Amino acid sequence: MNYIPITEQDEKEMLSLLGLKSIDELFVNVPAKLERELALDAPLSELEVRKKLHELSDKNKPMKYFRGAGSYWHYVPSAVNHIILRGEFFTAYTPYQPEVSQGTLQAIYEFQTLICALTGMDVANASMYDAASAAAEAMLLARSENEKNEVVIANEINPQYVETLKTYANACGFVISNELSERTSCVFIQQPNYHGSIENLHKFVADAHEKGAIVCVIVGEPTSLAIIEPPGNFDVDIVVGDLQCFGNGLNFGGPTGGFMAVKKNLTKRIPGRLCGLTTDTRGNQGFTLTLQAREQHIRREKATSNICTNQALNALISTVYLSLLGKTGLQNVAARNYKNAHALCKKLEAVGFRLLNTAPFYNEFLMQTPVPIETLNAKLQDNGLLGGLEIDKNKWLLCATEMLDEKDIEKFVDIVKSVR
Amino acid sequence: MTTPKLIFEYNTKNTEHVPNENAEVDLPNDLKRKELSIPDVNEVDVIRHFTELSKKNYGVDNGFYPLGSCTMKYNPKINEDVARFHGFANLHPQSPLLNVQGSLQLMYELEQMLCEITGMDVFSLQPSAGAHGELTACMITRKHFGAKRNKVIIPDSAHGTNPASAAMCGFEIVEVKTNSSGGVDLDELRSKVDSNTALLMLTNPSTLGLFEENIVEINKIMHDAGALTYCDGANMNAMLGITRPGDQGFDMMHLNLHKTFSTPHGGGGPGSGPVGVKKFLEKYLPVPRIVKKDDSYALEFNIQESIGRVRSFFGNFGMHVRAYTYIKSYGKMLKRVSQIAVLNANYIMRSLENHYQLPYNKTCAHECVFSGGSFAKYGIHTMDIAKRLLDYGFHAPTIYFPLIVKEAIMIEPTETEGKAMLDAFINTMKKIAEEAEKNPDLLHNAPVSTPVGRLDGVRAARQPNLRYEPVCRIC
Ligand SMILES: Cc1ncc(COP(=O)(O)O)c(C=O)c1O
Repeated sequence: MNYIPITEQDEKEMLSLLGLKSIDELFVNVPAKLERELALDAPLSELEVRKKLHELSDKNKPMKYFRGAGSYWHYVPSAVNHIILRGEFFTAYTPYQPEVSQGTLQAIYEFQTLICALTGMDVANASMYDAASAAAEAMLLARSENEKNEVVIANEINPQYVETLKTYANACGFVISNELSERTSCVFIQQPNYHGSIENLHKFVADAHEKGAIVCVIVGEPTSLAIIEPPGNFDVDIVVGDLQCFGNGLNFGGPTGGFMAVKKNLTKRIPGRLCGLTTDTRGNQGFTLTLQAREQHIRREKATSNICTNQALNALISTVYLSLLGKTGLQNVAARNYKNAHALCKKLEAVGFRLLNTAPFYNEFLMQTPVPIETLNAKLQDNGLLGGLEIDKNKWLLCATEMLDEKDIEKFVDIVKSVR
Repeated sequence: MTTPKLIFEYNTKNTEHVPNENAEVDLPNDLKRKELSIPDVNEVDVIRHFTELSKKNYGVDNGFYPLGSCTMKYNPKINEDVARFHGFANLHPQSPLLNVQGSLQLMYELEQMLCEITGMDVFSLQPSAGAHGELTACMITRKHFGAKRNKVIIPDSAHGTNPASAAMCGFEIVEVKTNSSGGVDLDELRSKVDSNTALLMLTNPSTLGLFEENIVEINKIMHDAGALTYCDGANMNAMLGITRPGDQGFDMMHLNLHKTFSTPHGGGGPGSGPVGVKKFLEKYLPVPRIVKKDDSYALEFNIQESIGRVRSFFGNFGMHVRAYTYIKSYGKMLKRVSQIAVLNANYIMRSLENHYQLPYNKTCAHECVFSGGSFAKYGIHTMDIAKRLLDYGFHAPTIYFPLIVKEAIMIEPTETEGKAMLDAFINTMKKIAEEAEKNPDLLHNAPVSTPVGRLDGVRAARQPNLRYEPVCRIC
């Protein structure tokens, strides 16, 4: 397979214009030349490569998932894929030439609006890599605002987010502390938290603000925003989260995309792209990237972040997803998640499992199991179901999304009972 | 005055994509959401809305996209299909190892192929984009030296992400100048390296589109001073099968799978920025690492000296699938990609050198950089030339970068353009040069054929309007 339209005749003519006899002459001054062929396989035709990838794909075993822990099995309407496969979108670059990028730009503007609406915040950017790195960027943002470098991370935050925060903290000169104090730059809390519980943000935010700290909420499962009070209503300063739930599928963890939304006073410190509405020379309205003096291509080492390529297509996916579902559809998804998870929980409680969440939960919850989790999960796996994640001995983190129906839940409980 | 119609301005009947549910849930009232200002729009309207938007966009599928430094090559459709195979697309990242052997094998083999292509010893596929890879490498550098060394040397031609990444890790940035033939000024480099220097970040071929002829010597100067070296591999499309950063002496590098290995840019991502290092730095790579034991694959989380994770899960896996497919398609013929990418760039450069000022007159790599400075006498700037190109149906080149070339015009054709397209572009560029002289207003007023004219950037920044307001007034 190759995608090179230049013919031998073209090559000859082009070389002759350059006054060269062979293409190798273009590389005479290249140092450290590789004097052998690359040790790669012979080229494959499209048919062969498709077969090869099928073989690999078939070695994976997708299941019915009763597991979340940072990645959630949601339905993606067909229309999403049809829109994002339009070459005008997916083969475009970052919209540096706004006159021929109004499609991407308007979609970003709509994305920013949707994220603000969902989170209740003032300003959202065009996307981040994922929730974990967005949280790390929030830490940097907070330091640039208040020039303090201590960070407090609440309990029950997704361990992968915590690990990512630690990586950035170690490299970028932050101190992670257990104690809120005047020295605290930023505090992190996850909503719903890693065990699915809905946190009481009121007291948390008030305590942090009293010490002059910036509050960052990491949205644990963004579809929850359809039915639970948004972080913006609790006076938080920064909200980050992952776009995986909004139409991006599982994809073995990526690409998903992250979002970041802030209060208005932090606009100039937000990392990444921002799209704004303005006017053109013909007196019409149009969109363009704006406030770029924050960004690396203008400010270099003084930029708010190094981010350049972000996750634009994933943000577009989320924009199309949210548009397709609308308020009603999104509330339906959230309600179904809530009810499925609670139904599963009740049924398990009835057979001797103990709910460990003390606060109300959304679509994920933690159960104390009367039998080893390994045994439970093995039996479920034999039946095509992926059980919960073992996060501690006999502590089982379960999730139920709208993808599961009553029959799935019944089957799950029956299998669990049989192990019992 | 026309105003774009936003998705928030439809209000039609919801399409039932998920079962209708009584949305009442028994949450305590203080936790329950009271207001959600997202419109209900029917699928028909949604499709038409976004189809309309797509018509106001320009991608590689529409035509020539000579955006320098971005490698806007054709994105094969097969890559999109395979990435959507059930076993990849519907695989939960928290699945047990037994269920994910295909994905791990793919990632492991991709790492191996990237090692062979670059001459690095090991790769991590975790970073999400080029800049994320740079940051990962700066973190590795921090870990390696601790607080002992605090300076990072970066040429003045570098991309903005290089200094921005180093600064995030608290390094002091030291700039080295480019000499008159477009390479790093060796004397200046020697004078700036000292026992406090941690890292050199260098793009090869440089952002001027020139192979760094002294690269072996440059790496030696740095290593003699005890520093590390990093190759910004954004321009790898010039080097496939021809020369390898590992053999040039670099200790670390990143690749942009969304450039060299044809994963689509998506209007600004997702990307993927794998980081490759030499053996002695392997211990610092992000966790988890993929390991092969006999015939199965596993994930190694416990590596004492690792910098840790730089994001969730394993990186932008879907991009790994596409890049893997691309490399398997070309196999050892990858060299042809770079040969033609370089041929195409030189063909454009020599065809236009009498019409546009060429600051570095020598064989170029996969891109060539002109200056629009010579048109100042007609009141014409590079911006005007770029906008006029839009009127002729081309995307503009990268402009005003690299910063060291006045009024830079950076053209990267890639290998996926045929001669007819190159000729059409060349002729148009010649015509624009003529217009600049004879009828400069054509350029000043450009573009006239696009959905909107030039946008008022000052207004956008002074009176930021970053979201549709009525929505947020309600919530
Ligand atoms: C030379 C160079 N380095 C680094 C980058 C950053 O890569 P990314 O956009 O993938 O973060 C780019 C891309 O724009 C580039 O051209």
